[in-house]
Amino acid sequence: MKNNKRFLLICLLIAVILVVLPHVAGIVKTNVFITFAISATFAVSLNLLLGYTGLLSFGHAMFFGAGAYTTALVLTHIPGIPLIPTVLSGAAGAGLLAVIVCPLLARVSGTTFAMLTLAFGQLLYVVCLKFREVTGGEDGIAGFPIPPFAIPGVFSLNMKDPFNFYYFAIIVLGICLILMWYITMTPFGNTLIAIRDNPRRASFLGIKVQHSKAAILFLSGTFAGVAGSVFALFHNVVSADAVLNIHVSFSPIMMSYVGGLGSFIGPIIGSGFIGLLDEFTSRYIQRVDLVNGVIFILAVMFAPEGIFGLWWKFRNWLSVGMGKRKSQEKS
Amino acid sequence: MSPVVVMYITQALHGLAYGMLLFLVASGLTLVFGMMGILNLAHASLFMLSAYFCYTVLLVTGNFWMALIIAPIVTALLGILVERFLLRRVHLQGHIGELLLTMGIMLVILETVKSFWGTEALVISMPPSLSGLVYFGAIRFPLYRLFIILLSLVVLGIMILVLFKTRLGKVVQATVSNASMVSALGINTPLVFMLVFGFGTWLAGVAGVAAAPLLSVFPGMADQIGMDAFVVVVVGGLGSLGGALLSSLVIGELNAFGVLFIPRLAPVLLFAFMAIVLTIKPSGFFGEKDEE
Repeated sequence: MKNNKRFLLICLLIAVILVVLPHVAGIVKTNVFITFAISATFAVSLNLLLGYTGLLSFGHAMFFGAGAYTTALVLTHIPGIPLIPTVLSGAAGAGLLAVIVCPLLARVSGTTFAMLTLAFGQLLYVVCLKFREVTGGEDGIAGFPIPPFAIPGVFSLNMKDPFNFYYFAIIVLGICLILMWYITMTPFGNTLIAIRDNPRRASFLGIKVQHSKAAILFLSGTFAGVAGSVFALFHNVVSADAVLNIHVSFSPIMMSYVGGLGSFIGPIIGSGFIGLLDEFTSRYIQRVDLVNGVIFILAVMFAPEGIFGLWWKFRNWLSVGMGKRKSQEKS
Repeated sequence: MSPVVVMYITQALHGLAYGMLLFLVASGLTLVFGMMGILNLAHASLFMLSAYFCYTVLLVTGNFWMALIIAPIVTALLGILVERFLLRRVHLQGHIGELLLTMGIMLVILETVKSFWGTEALVISMPPSLSGLVYFGAIRFPLYRLFIILLSLVVLGIMILVLFKTRLGKVVQATVSNASMVSALGINTPLVFMLVFGFGTWLAGVAGVAAAPLLSVFPGMADQIGMDAFVVVVVGGLGSLGGALLSSLVIGELNAFGVLFIPRLAPVLLFAFMAIVLTIKPSGFFGEKDEE
């Protein structure tokens, strides 16, 4: 009961902070926060595969990119389309891509899975660069109109206003995060963990391993697509290097790992940490990725459970220490 | 011979040259995988690093042959250090940890190269003794590419001799099939791992020097060939040397003729080939052990 109340209180606190943030922090920091929210959603969607199902995807950018490109294309070619359908179309584009690739990907795991996703991701990247007529090649697609968020005749919010866009992005990405959290709480979420821990035993228990893998691939891809879609709306430009490059696939892996793979909150912490680090280091040195790479290597070597794991260890250590002290006092 | 046939043969030879270069990169990758179960994402970065070493050695000595000997050895030493001080320590964490570690190393190498040598392409001129064309009847073919084919064949020959005809080769083969058993027989398996990893990076280093005059040296030079090498290794069957040879030749030819007939779709062809092979046989051509 006490825990429940505390949980509600924390949720309320986060909501209040999110609402007042743009008015306190100013536009620049608000935009940094939108970037953080996008990468956090992206990282959590990757963690559904990596942390929960044990599938390492080196090509998650393909779903992010599919969402971003679908949104950009829809906005360019269908004039007057409302805002929500553009985001849904991004999700649908990424979901469709997942449906296309999952027959092959659901059959494999481990290193082969990693390599296949890497190959598909690179394939999409190359195709996007080559098919100039549709995707604009290296220049990408830019300057598409951003529709207002409106119910005709009732109200209309201009999305070019940074504050309005902030609330819109936070609500969309927040819904995604809550949905993903809900997925991990369902029996299906437990199925995924069973597959991660022992696929063969899971199969003996009657779990359809390949079907479940295909399903989580689809869900994870769709949520990554929503993140990509919001990214496209936020920047108003989509290019292969920004959304499909292999580094776009690497960064959520890094964020998830640094934050802590085993937990839902880990990737969010990780993306916050890496985002802040990038902001900080880019002021002093040019090679931000060098710092990221070194930190990543250190994380893999010394803190495989990430920041979240370190925090738990610290808490345990603290409580053990307190316990000892208390018992000493008694004696 | 009609000009069309000559063109096809020339193109096939170009494909062969690229395929053999690819084999040099992929063989190191697949050897390390077969032995240690690590797919080294930094392999292509080491290939690129060796090309940069080649540039620097050329700048100092001006002798290409010197570069061909020194640069791969320096790269191999670096690889050994990486194995000894980084990879070995995360071995207990399982494959995902190792894979991610090599990803981090890849980032670090890429950024270090950018800050040491800059991001611009550095041109390496071919050694005079290897530039020019050779004539087989009506077929003209660049001598340097012929040299790459021969170099790869020599390396392949050495590799086969060492692997199948020496005691060290037997130990390596045995370690591939059951490392803990070999260790129990009193052989220092960590040392074997280290040597094999070093040899794998040496192969990448040789390929890097061989490719440097062809591709010119720039931070993105590893992208294309690294990607192709991963495809080769996956298609050939992870850990299989014969599979790597076969699939790198196929991919070399696919690349050469794809560029000829459908230039825009050539990269797609590569992945389509991989998708088809893996749909029929998920473990690749000669892949034996499936994970799990």
